[in-house]
Amino acid sequence: MKKKYVVSRGLAFGEEKDMAKLTSYAKQGWVLERFAPFGFLLKKGKVQHLSFAVDYNKDPDDEYFAYFEQAGWTHMCSGVDYIHVFSSPEGTQPIYSDRETTLEKYEVEKKNTGMVALPSLIATILLFICGNLEGVSGLMEEVLIWSGFATMIVFVFSGMPYVGYRYKLSKVRKGWGK
Amino acid sequence: MARNDSLETGELTDTSFYILLSLVEARHGYLIMQNIEELTDGGFSIGPASMYTTIKKLLSAELIEQYGDGKGKRKTYIATDKGLKLLEKDIKRREQMIFHAKQVLNQKGDRLG
Repeated sequence: MKKKYVVSRGLAFGEEKDMAKLTSYAKQGWVLERFAPFGFLLKKGKVQHLSFAVDYNKDPDDEYFAYFEQAGWTHMCSGVDYIHVFSSPEGTQPIYSDRETTLEKYEVEKKNTGMVALPSLIATILLFICGNLEGVSGLMEEVLIWSGFATMIVFVFSGMPYVGYRYKLSKVRKGWGK
Repeated sequence: MARNDSLETGELTDTSFYILLSLVEARHGYLIMQNIEELTDGGFSIGPASMYTTIKKLLSAELIEQYGDGKGKRKTYIATDKGLKLLEKDIKRREQMIFHAKQVLNQKGDRLG
């Protein structure tokens, strides 16, 4: 079976573009199979005209999936049992139909990423400050600075999506239904 | 739950309004959508993610409750007394809006006629 890997822009920044990319690949017969690191894995099948949508839910049960199924959205795959991708024939009613619940989708994501970003930022700053204090032994300094780099990576991967979701929220607030 | 904005101010969004209206009788969650489409002749439909989110909100605001002990897909909901009261209040609010609109438009009609 032929497979293809496509890179994701990061759902926080490029959700629509990523979904549009999945649609255009499906038209060439490359259909989403599952999430892959920093992207998606597609498999060769028949040509399909599909819309794709992503939703977040940390403890999805059959009830959750039943709503989508009833509305004509097929569950394609999930990442870490939290990010769920659905597809439907083009022209199906979108999964979010009002402003309030769309805002909530991104509010929750903003909060979740923010809850990681802020503490990791503070930890990074503290670790770098402590690592540069006078009187810290050579080994201790190494440990502190390297730990600082580690928390900085956590900060980047939570802080960037946080900014993405904030931007998304402001767009939805301004643009919904106009 | 993040925000209950409009529920806290005692106003229902169109989505919550139609869901609550459907739950005057007990119904399976995933069949509410179908009921609303039939009721409005396809004029109003709710996306599945909006439906799921709104049901969770209505539950946490105690405007609806689970009916019986069905699990997962078999979960059934019904409006609570609190939910029914809010629905009635919102129907009045909406009637007022229509009344005001008609008043203005009729006056305009009179002037033109």
